[in-house]
Amino acid sequence: MKFFKTRIFFIIVLFGALYLCPANAYAAGDFMRETGKINVVVGVILLLFFGIVAYLIRLERKLTKLEHQINDDHEWKN
Amino acid sequence: MKWLVFKTLLHKEFLLEFRQRYAISGIVLYVFSMVFVVYIASVRVQPPVWNILFWLIMLFVSINAVVKSFVQESGSRQLYYYQVANPVVLLLTKIIYNTLLLLVISALAFGTYSIVAGNPVFDYPLFALVLLLGSFGFSITFTFTASIAAKANNSATLMAILSFPIIIPILLTLMRLSNIALRVIQDTSYQRDIINLLAIDAILLTLTFVLFPYIWRD
Amino acid sequence: MWWKITSVLLLVYTFTLGMLVPLRPGILTVSPESGLTRQSTVLTISGYNAHFTQGEGQTRVWLTYDDENAILAHRVKALSDTQLEAEFQLPANLPKGEATMVLNCIVDNPADGTSVLPNAFQLKLDSTTMQEYDPTWKAHPVEKLNVKKGFTYPYRNVIYETIRNTYFHVPMWFVLLFLLLASATYSVIYLLNPKPEYDSKASAYAETGLLFGLLGLVTGMLWAHYAWGKAWSNDIKQITTAVALLIYMAYFILRSSFDEPEKGARLSAVYNIFAFATLIPLLYVVPRMFASLHPGATGSPAFGGQDLDNTMRAVFYPAIIGWTLLGFWMTSLRIRAKRIEDKLGGLD
Repeated sequence: MKFFKTRIFFIIVLFGALYLCPANAYAAGDFMRETGKINVVVGVILLLFFGIVAYLIRLERKLTKLEHQINDDHEWKN
Repeated sequence: MKWLVFKTLLHKEFLLEFRQRYAISGIVLYVFSMVFVVYIASVRVQPPVWNILFWLIMLFVSINAVVKSFVQESGSRQLYYYQVANPVVLLLTKIIYNTLLLLVISALAFGTYSIVAGNPVFDYPLFALVLLLGSFGFSITFTFTASIAAKANNSATLMAILSFPIIIPILLTLMRLSNIALRVIQDTSYQRDIINLLAIDAILLTLTFVLFPYIWRD
Repeated sequence: MWWKITSVLLLVYTFTLGMLVPLRPGILTVSPESGLTRQSTVLTISGYNAHFTQGEGQTRVWLTYDDENAILAHRVKALSDTQLEAEFQLPANLPKGEATMVLNCIVDNPADGTSVLPNAFQLKLDSTTMQEYDPTWKAHPVEKLNVKKGFTYPYRNVIYETIRNTYFHVPMWFVLLFLLLASATYSVIYLLNPKPEYDSKASAYAETGLLFGLLGLVTGMLWAHYAWGKAWSNDIKQITTAVALLIYMAYFILRSSFDEPEKGARLSAVYNIFAFATLIPLLYVVPRMFASLHPGATGSPAFGGQDLDNTMRAVFYPAIIGWTLLGFWMTSLRIRAKRIEDKLGGLD
């Protein structure tokens, strides 16, 4: 279930970012549509980047937990 | 020998249904109340909406009708089948029985629904074919997911979660074909869609038979 | 090891060329957008990435009706690199006697090559009609066009620079497919030879597959918002991708709902194989039945030949391989973490 909690959080953040983007864009004088809509490409790359980083953070948390487990075992044996 | 087992098991399915009359009457009542709820919510509807609502009714009724084929049979009885019957034969009887059951239910649903919400069907042979193919596709998919869900903890929820996304390719094709039967969309080359549907059914049927022994083994 | 380096190199190549190679020059707008026959009209054309001043005197501008009928501007003046003024003497009637017709605009010069804006100018018949065919339509056919040299991406209206998303959004779909294929393969291996190791591999591949599917969906929605006007337009490919994600979320719920690990692994392997089999009609058969906004729509689930030119192929194929290898790399890390997890679980 933990898996789903983090996953749901991740989904909410991604979709939230998506819905915030156009709102800001309209306010800032069509930032996204300037110069041939190049900022849409930037946005897509940023989404990919944050998606992959989110995956890495999740993996790191798992590894940290494993490290704790190893350390605990070690102390317990001594 | 296998033929005999097959006949006995199929006979057993019907016998079981007949004895536990509450199950089949439950499904019939389910159809009626579902149709009635839809009727209250939307009285007379345009053909496109009619089509959507009809297939939604079919979807929910089918899931509830098929779920009992594994989920509602007790563990000790399953153990008994496991000892006496070949899993493939058992699965075959379940699928055939469920197809027949769903055919009856779809006829019933169509009848009651067209009484309360009108009947926009133009092409009856095509619509009948769609119902037949639909019953078959639903039967294969739901029998398979029911056999998995029966082994897990919260079967009823799991049944819905597992079945809904998997049924979507079949459901989309069915809705398109029945839209053609309702003359909502014009398409003379719908034979291709029927072939697609048959192909999807064939793939799922083959896979079900290949994979079922792995589900059944305990 | 070598494939991780390949992945990084290919992605560096993708990002560098994908972002730095310029777009071919094109026409942004033409104003005014309509005019009457027999009139003399001055069109102001604004270009994108254009170098109108370099081609001064050699720039030609046409308004075309079809392959045979076109009118050439008799005076062309570059106001700046991106602004062009072209004066036309509009003919007396339309080639096939229509009352109104939308013409395409073609600009050609040696520096930029040829650029086209379809449906740029609406030509309406004035009140006095002339029955016979006006020969000015055939006087200056579109010919001797220049070709722009150099490495550039095609210029398309509406999407403009976002054509670069071909290297970032589209490969997600391929990565999804490859990772899920790997996941289904490990499920088959698990059923044939039930070792827990294969099961955890299958689930790790499904996990990253889900991640890339989600990324593909979200980036697609962002792109769609600016290219189609709506983030979610019920396009059949959006729907099928969303359904594919639902199927694999169901797979993870199924995994977590068993008490005995062996039974759970076996049944989720069965479901995984079944799910992958339904994915094939979902991604290949169903999209053919419905109209789609995606390129290469109705008829073909992937990209059609006309949607990619050779320049784009030179970046697109390496991009697919690079992203796929990255997906496998990420999964391999997850598998290693799982292996340690299982080892530690065994210690207790």
